[in-house]
Amino acid sequence: MDAEDRQLIRAFARGEESAFTALVIKYRESVYRVARRMLGNHEDAADVTQEVFIRAHRALPRFDGRSRLYTWLYRITINLCLDMRGRSVRLPLLGEEAGARDAKGFPGAEDEVEGREVGRLVALAVSQLPPRQRAMTVLRLYQDLPYREIARIMGCSEGTVKATMFAALRKLRRALAGEGVRAP
Amino acid sequence: MRDRCEEVLERLVEGVTGTVLPDERAALARHLAVCERCRDEAASIEAAAVRLRSAGRFVAPPGFWEEFMRRLAARIEEERVPVGARLRRWLASPRHALGTAVVTAVTVLAVFAAVRTAPPAPDPVAVRARGLVTATMTSSLPSLGATLDIWRAGLSQESGEDADRRERQGR
Repeated sequence: MDAEDRQLIRAFARGEESAFTALVIKYRESVYRVARRMLGNHEDAADVTQEVFIRAHRALPRFDGRSRLYTWLYRITINLCLDMRGRSVRLPLLGEEAGARDAKGFPGAEDEVEGREVGRLVALAVSQLPPRQRAMTVLRLYQDLPYREIARIMGCSEGTVKATMFAALRKLRRALAGEGVRAP
Repeated sequence: MRDRCEEVLERLVEGVTGTVLPDERAALARHLAVCERCRDEAASIEAAAVRLRSAGRFVAPPGFWEEFMRRLAARIEEERVPVGARLRRWLASPRHALGTAVVTAVTVLAVFAAVRTAPPAPDPVAVRARGLVTATMTSSLPSLGATLDIWRAGLSQESGEDADRRERQGR
């Protein structure tokens, strides 16, 4: 586990609430991005992010440190997202995805407009994957987690993650080709 | 060859997402050099992965994190309030007041109905008397009810006499 995380967890165990705040600030955006990709809209992602840290606050004193803290947080996030998917969720608004993206990699005004549209189509294609495929795709392609960590989070073998990723990428390729999206 | 292709395509996902060791990468490249089907598949999967990665990151709306931290702190504070106090507050909140009133009314009515309709506790003397009645007696005595009343009265007296006796012995 990250030395800084270990120190913060120890400080929190000693009763320093500010250590928990530091952990929230460190991981809140990653947790939010995973939830956002999983759920497709800001409101649900915000609710899940809040719930992740509430649960983390409750359970952190019992965290054994065998896995990395972010693995543990992502596991809570994915489980909450899968639960929420099982219930009704707010549907993503058309064009909303594009509005929340940053412009990294799209320097010119024309590129930006084109990039937003592609970003929306990509988000739509990802949102149409089955939930577990979506979770693995998000963790691998957007959070850059190694397969071993993804397997821990998803509670399956590395082989299963690789096979699922393969199936997901094929589906995404077909979906994006159907929308006329080509590689940049 | 087909099995080899399946295996290569699974390894390819790792190659595309950047976790394959250099010697494995070289083996993949050797296969792709001779297999057109895998080459096409590899190219399109890689293109999809690149497209997905280049789609950018989501960022929360301005001001969101300040509000988020405020709400989180409030909820954590709320968790510290004892359970009993939280339950009382929950029951008293206007949002749950109607539900609470309905549940309370239904509970009171159910308890009242249960008390009213419950059968009375059996008289121990009557139980004793009933044990003394045989089938022959029931068939030969037409007015057994009246007889039972007499016996019950007698047994009650007997119980009273026993109590008196015990009291005298106590003195």
